[in-house]
Amino acid sequence: MPLLGDEYTGTVRWPRLRQDVAIVTWPSFLVASVATMICFAFIDPVLVGNDDYPPPAFATRMSGYAIGFFFFWLISALSSLLTLYLARTAHPEPPETDKPDDWTRSAP
Amino acid sequence: MTAPDAAQDGGLYATRQKIYPREIGGRFQRLRVIAVFVLLGIYYVLPWIPWGGRQAVLFDLPARKFHIFALTLWPQDFYFLTWLLVIAALSLFFFTALAGRLFCGYACPQTVWTETFLWMERLAEGSRSQQMKLARAPWTAEKFLRKAAKQLMWITFALWTGFTFVGYFTPITELAGKIASFSTGPWETFWVLFYGGATYVNAGFMREQVCKYMCPYARFQSAMFDRDTLIITYDERRGEPRGARKKGTDHKAKGLGDCVDCTMCVQVCPTGIDIREGLQYECIACAACIDACDEVMDKVGYPRGLIRYDTQSGLEGKRKRVLRPRTMVYATLLAVLVAGFAVTLSGRSVVGIDVIRDRNALYRERPDGRIENVYNVKILNKDRNAHEFRITASGLPGVEVDYTGPTVWVAPGAVQSVPVRVRVPRGSVQGGTDLVLSIAATDRPDLTASGKARFIAPTD
Repeated sequence: MPLLGDEYTGTVRWPRLRQDVAIVTWPSFLVASVATMICFAFIDPVLVGNDDYPPPAFATRMSGYAIGFFFFWLISALSSLLTLYLARTAHPEPPETDKPDDWTRSAP
Repeated sequence: MTAPDAAQDGGLYATRQKIYPREIGGRFQRLRVIAVFVLLGIYYVLPWIPWGGRQAVLFDLPARKFHIFALTLWPQDFYFLTWLLVIAALSLFFFTALAGRLFCGYACPQTVWTETFLWMERLAEGSRSQQMKLARAPWTAEKFLRKAAKQLMWITFALWTGFTFVGYFTPITELAGKIASFSTGPWETFWVLFYGGATYVNAGFMREQVCKYMCPYARFQSAMFDRDTLIITYDERRGEPRGARKKGTDHKAKGLGDCVDCTMCVQVCPTGIDIREGLQYECIACAACIDACDEVMDKVGYPRGLIRYDTQSGLEGKRKRVLRPRTMVYATLLAVLVAGFAVTLSGRSVVGIDVIRDRNALYRERPDGRIENVYNVKILNKDRNAHEFRITASGLPGVEVDYTGPTVWVAPGAVQSVPVRVRVPRGSVQGGTDLVLSIAATDRPDLTASGKARFIAPTD
């Protein structure tokens, strides 16, 4: 299509690095949001701490929620990163051949 | 990362070119504009609505209470939230099976905010061709002013979005006052900037690339599709073979289909796909191509609907079915969940009790010969009215309770801790036994709750 430049023909794509950053940070963000919600529905951050040595781990609830969220985000991002690394460094699938799927039947 | 891998995927260094979608009017674009106004209207206005002395919708994280109009949810009500999320997910499945990616095209925050950012861009930089010209032009005072105006609008709008977001979690009028006097707390400041920044980057720059690279729904929505799902589609049988023609020529005699190959449908596409190549996962169902094509069909005098909302069956000229096992299963599940949610929510107990044993002593022998255990009882009043509660004990022979006053007053939406002494005659209990402590409101006998604890006595 000579009328159109690349920007209209669906060839627009993100560079690999940007894709990687996006698919590591975004799913982990979603998971961290859910984890934060579940965790702090059951745990009050100002009550977290060592019984024998006050003060508690978090000065205020808001700081507890925020630090908790970023902790979850970091952990899940690490997991996403490892998954991405393993997926990207795996040997590629062997190429498809023209042989029929059921080779036993075609055997002489 | 291996070298052939990189080459296969277009390489590491593929540059991203900006998509300049052509602006388009039409009935579906009007619908989308209405959706943007309604949804963003709700988002920006909701936190400002008062309700009986407080904000109507306030997810009060510091106090660990969620207020949604008349309803107040406590951390104990967490499962309602989970339930709500399941309902939301199932509705998404249902509507996807029924009408494809309606959510993407009309309701997804990513699309909605991108749309407003596009409007602001057009306001500052003009139409698509003007924008492209401006991008190529050398830096002049006008270019600088136009770009600066766009950035100013974007940043202001993004910051307002961030402020509104935080306003759902801390009272928004207080927050506005704090911002006016530059005295917001560190976390408030951080979250306003964080959410504002996310809006700016997502709607200003990443736009539909988010749908292509980051959205899981875009990848799995096809699992909910079948041949009767409403999709945006090009009628290949009618359109092909495509080709340019002079106005007024009998294209059928020349062996041409209805598609004049004007490429308008490609130019308006925000994800840069060609709908004529069939259904693609990049398609966010914004229907811009329908409006563009209808306009062209009107101009050349062909009937509308060469690109239209239709189903695979419909395209093949078969009967369209709305009722089918898939939609009926989703609808039934959805109805059951919603009904269950409503029933559980309306019947939920508004009082609660938490019994914690005093850790300092296992038991105490009183001078009168009875055995005493001490508990810390927390009474939870989730009701909108204050109540007086009476505490009783059961499960042990000859049990008696002793606490301050004949009743305990608990303010609405508050928790009251009461030290409670429980006594039994010596010898009636040996070792550890389960004890039940109950509360009942004096003005409303139906408001009751009970909690279990261990009672410990010496073994004689």
